Amino acid sequence: MESEQWVKIEGIIGGYRVDSRILEERIQEAVASGARFIEVYAAGQHGIGGRLWRAKDENVYVRVIGSPGQRLGAMGFPNTTIEVMGPVSDDVGWLNAGATIIVHGNATNGAGNAMAQGKIYIAGNIGARGMTMTKHNPRFAPPELWVLGSVGDYFAEFMAGGIAVICGYQPQDPENVLGYRPCVGMVGGKIFFRGPHKGYSLPDAKLVPIDDESWIWLIENLKLFLENIKKPDLFDVLAKRSDWQLIAARSPMEKVLLPRKSMHEFRMVVWEKELGKGGLIGDLVTFDQSPIPIITTGFLRRYVPVWENRKYQPPCEASCPTGIPVRDRWQLIREGRIDEAVDLALAYTPFPATVCGYLCPNLCMKGCTRTAQGVAPVDTTILGKASLSAKPPKLPPITGGKVAVIGGGPAGISVAWQLRLKGHEPVIYDMRSELGGKLTEVIPPSRIPQEVLDAELDRVRKLIPHVHLQQKLSKEEFERLKLDYDFVIIATGAQKPRMLPVPGIERAISARDFLRRSRSNDISPGEKVVIIGAGNVGCDVATEAFRLGAKDITLIDIQEPASFGKERKEAEAIGAKFLWPRFTKAISEKGVELSSGELLEADTVVVAIGDQPELENIPDTVAKDRGFVKVNEYYQTTDPKIFAIGDVVKLGLLTEAIGAGRIAAEAIDEILKGKRPRRDVRMVIERGRIKSEYFDPRLAPGVPLERCANACASCGSCRDCGICITICPQGAISKVEGLKGSFEMAVDGEKCIGCGFCAGACPCGIWNLVENDPIE
Amino acid sequence: MASIGTIAPSSLSRKDLLWQIVWDKERCAFCGRCTAVCPVHAIELGVFRKRLLQVAAGMETQPSNVYQVFYGIRQKTDPAYSCIGCGTCTLVCPNDCIIPIRNDEIDKLRFHINRGGQPRRRGGRRNVPEGILDRIKFVRISMLTDPALDAGRHEFELRTILGRVLPPEETLKLYKEEGWSPPVREIYPLIIGSMSFGALSPTMWEGLQMGVAYLNEELGMPVRMCTGEGGCPPRLLRSRFMKYVILQIASGYFGWDEIIHAIPEMKEDPCAVEIKYGQGAKPGDGGLLMWYKVNKLIAAIRGVPPGVSLPSPPTHQTLYSIEEAVAKMIQSLYMAWGFRVPVYPKISGTSTALAVLNNLTRNPYAAGLAIDGEDGGTGAAYNVSMDHMGHPIASNIRECYLNLVKVGKQNEIPLFAAGGIGKRGNLAANAAALIMLGASGVQIGKYIMQAAAGCVGSETDRCNICNIGLCPKGITSQDPRIYRRLDPEKVAERVVDVFLSFDTELKKIVAPLGRSTSLPIGMSDALGIDDYHAAERLQIKYVV
Repeated sequence: MESEQWVKIEGIIGGYRVDSRILEERIQEAVASGARFIEVYAAGQHGIGGRLWRAKDENVYVRVIGSPGQRLGAMGFPNTTIEVMGPVSDDVGWLNAGATIIVHGNATNGAGNAMAQGKIYIAGNIGARGMTMTKHNPRFAPPELWVLGSVGDYFAEFMAGGIAVICGYQPQDPENVLGYRPCVGMVGGKIFFRGPHKGYSLPDAKLVPIDDESWIWLIENLKLFLENIKKPDLFDVLAKRSDWQLIAARSPMEKVLLPRKSMHEFRMVVWEKELGKGGLIGDLVTFDQSPIPIITTGFLRRYVPVWENRKYQPPCEASCPTGIPVRDRWQLIREGRIDEAVDLALAYTPFPATVCGYLCPNLCMKGCTRTAQGVAPVDTTILGKASLSAKPPKLPPITGGKVAVIGGGPAGISVAWQLRLKGHEPVIYDMRSELGGKLTEVIPPSRIPQEVLDAELDRVRKLIPHVHLQQKLSKEEFERLKLDYDFVIIATGAQKPRMLPVPGIERAISARDFLRRSRSNDISPGEKVVIIGAGNVGCDVATEAFRLGAKDITLIDIQEPASFGKERKEAEAIGAKFLWPRFTKAISEKGVELSSGELLEADTVVVAIGDQPELENIPDTVAKDRGFVKVNEYYQTTDPKIFAIGDVVKLGLLTEAIGAGRIAAEAIDEILKGKRPRRDVRMVIERGRIKSEYFDPRLAPGVPLERCANACASCGSCRDCGICITICPQGAISKVEGLKGSFEMAVDGEKCIGCGFCAGACPCGIWNLVENDPIE
Repeated sequence: MASIGTIAPSSLSRKDLLWQIVWDKERCAFCGRCTAVCPVHAIELGVFRKRLLQVAAGMETQPSNVYQVFYGIRQKTDPAYSCIGCGTCTLVCPNDCIIPIRNDEIDKLRFHINRGGQPRRRGGRRNVPEGILDRIKFVRISMLTDPALDAGRHEFELRTILGRVLPPEETLKLYKEEGWSPPVREIYPLIIGSMSFGALSPTMWEGLQMGVAYLNEELGMPVRMCTGEGGCPPRLLRSRFMKYVILQIASGYFGWDEIIHAIPEMKEDPCAVEIKYGQGAKPGDGGLLMWYKVNKLIAAIRGVPPGVSLPSPPTHQTLYSIEEAVAKMIQSLYMAWGFRVPVYPKISGTSTALAVLNNLTRNPYAAGLAIDGEDGGTGAAYNVSMDHMGHPIASNIRECYLNLVKVGKQNEIPLFAAGGIGKRGNLAANAAALIMLGASGVQIGKYIMQAAAGCVGSETDRCNICNIGLCPKGITSQDPRIYRRLDPEKVAERVVDVFLSFDTELKKIVAPLGRSTSLPIGMSDALGIDDYHAAERLQIKYVV
């Protein structure tokens, strides 16, 4: 360096420190004017030696004596070499873009922060945050930081490139040459170090072996470093390969979270070890607690389907007071067993044709699921009429009790019929020469063909003995019957017409008398007829009066008339007027005087406000209530040997009287067999379970019988349609054949998921989805 | 379902329901999964009839009708089976063809959920989505004014104190005279709040406890969980994990005889005892675990026979005044563990909170005060209590803290805030806001159920059937067929995820404030809100 022309630049002039801006201007001026060897006597000035680009490709040497300030060599250029003869302050080589900086003492914090090129050689230790945020621009060689001793805390934070070499020679902390928490956020570059350390950021960096290429680079450059800091003698001490380690940044793909136990491992080796097998509640439960899928089968299903075939009453049967299982009759027809279907009725009623076919308002049809769902019900009258030809069931031999039935009307005949079918011996006592009661006495012939009624009564007569009474039974005779028979059944009906307590009532005729006489054409009502009471009996009076020549027929009532059905329609058809509310004041020769003062002219006035029973000769042991006999649910009176059915208990329909007879007969049968009587406890199937959507809503069922049978939804009784088998998404349902053509639908629980599709699709409401049995 | 008969006042159509099932006939595979899984049987397979009129062009043949039957997924309209919007059907549908959609207007169903005069009861949360916590911003960003910290690289010591810190002279005096000073615990400021074993399923409860144990033992985070009222499984009572548990005692005292029997065998003291006086979701109301949830397991833990309903009265029956209540309960429970375990009361948010706090400040045994605001959740309550009763937590905590400042005890008796923290997903922000308003820590319930177990509840009346034991995720059910859907291990993993991510977010909030070694409790100069009156009430900055 013979040609060295050293320019000295003073940091203190005249005892005053030169401002950093002035010192910088002087250095820049010197370089601009050709100086290439500059000696700066520093006194804390900022950024000495950086930015000397004006020298272009020529090298500039800056020697710093004294105390340089922060950021020595900041933004240094590749042409620059700075040599600090003592220690250096913070951020040496900050944003270094190529300068070589040699420091013969220690450096404080931030050495090499953000440098991108160049080299920094430190002949001592450095403070905190060295080599932070350094980068490697691929256009240039990577930046290097060489430290002879050790580094301070937080070394290499966010280091993104470059090479740091920590020689660990006479380190500040002999236990740890890398300081506290190095390499946090490190993404690039490598760190050679020699000596002990206390950890680095494992998620960001890793220790890698020093390969030969790296080692050659290291010792070659180590020599250079030592020469620069003028300690070449240390080479032999430092150049032992086994002393060195290398940290490299993890690549983005290698970034890992802190290695820690998996939760499963924790559960097995920590959790259950402390608590015992099964964890928190392993000691309290015996069943499996392992995770299950959200869709489960078998035991783990929340809900299970149940094939509830014939568990519930169909609505037709439930609404029939006689209790005829209409559904089952249609089912028999669908199965081609028409005769059985027809004959079945006689097990329930002696009058299937008369009542079901003609006289009954057919509550079964009103209750029909189809009705409730807005389509025409299955027509039971067809089935009823067909029953005319029904063969009575085979009679069992008489082995049971003897029962006296007082009254040969529908109730009495029904109970006697049922008792006989069960092998008992009923005897009917009646005032009239022929059985039938109301059926033969007051129901107009227009309502039912005589031959139908006669045929059914014939069927009864063949079965039931009848004692023709000449007069009403006295109390004494009643008591004797009680002694002679096991049971006595009162079925005397309501014989006594109710009349109004108004003046001139004697001028009126009761409906009962009118109808009885009209049947034998034994009355001529005249042109004008007023009927007080516009119920169904009143309507019957009206149509009969019309038949007998009346022209102007008026029915009055104190409230909206309760008449309905065929009776009402027929009365309206013959032009009868219905007036209400009308209150009768008196009955005069001219007709009916109303409380309003109006006069309804009449040749005949008929009172049709109902009948009431005659209870005079019934024993005192039988309690009465408001004019009727009191009974329990089996029609047993307060005298256990006496039953009462029909209108004597409560005014009602024919079918109600027939049904009462059946219930009473069953109860007596049970009692005679020494059992406690029981009623049918089946519930009626919920309407919503029946799917009428399977049927054509426009198609009213009608003749022939088969069509009606097909239109029956078969509420609660399996039609064996196979829809459940088809719809089950799991294929879990199959038909299992039993004995004698019986079958059931079975569910394979291991396939079933409890979706309820079977219940949703079943036309007949057989399938139900119920909660699975609880676990513990 | 179509009404073809008469209609009743409560005959509703799909239009009237809160949640309407939208189902795509074209995509449906009729696999049955949706109806199998629906917790409330709101959907079923329906049979439908379709009518096609066949009229030949030119009318050369007679027109005719063809009826066809088809199947579909039908929603029931009976209020008893109304869809709860949980979306489990959507979750299990392989063909993405079913989803509940919320009504576009006020549903009519709500006017009919009172059959037999029984008002609506439900579980879940307050159906009010808004809240002030989300509106609070952290406006003090210390870039140069304080040394700004880096949440990623700086070390943080985010801990809080549970327990009474008396002034040094009092502590010394107590220690000298009685050899005792109040126990304190250094814990993580995010606490899993009281949810009982019984209200939660066994799998959920175990998952939470396992996650908490993991956080403590593998990650060094001193997270604590409160048992709620319902006892504590005997194995946990006798394990070292007990120290991570805050035992709750409430008015029904269920399970406490089992706890007492376990004391001689305990390896560790519990972290603390919480005395529950009130609950934010249903202030002033008691609890009722219905008999059908009280199976053998629950019964064993609670120390009762199975199959009986377990009522917790609205109040502790032997407490008659604040002074008495505090003195009696706190003393009794301190004695249980030889005065080694901090005991603090929890009340529901109320305008009378200050009265309680003032009493506690005079009692050197009171280890803190937890306040549960109106947005707290519950397993079962009357709808009216949930939606309309209670006090917002922010102003309640704030006035309590400011009162402590006034009497110079703000560093002595910690306040814990609960109720709606993170209800819109902003857990760390809400927690930090409450801490800066004066809370020493926060308790969460619903958030951890959502984040750790996938609870689908929302503030828009979705699901909300925690009370009937049919939780579709198995979080609040006691039926093994349901709760085994939930894998405790997976819950525990999620608990860990939640706390780690919360930790990072909390750091992201406190680092720019220059805080790293102590929580910024009451550092309200960092808070701002764009509502002038709220700013005045909370005594924070009004910023627009």
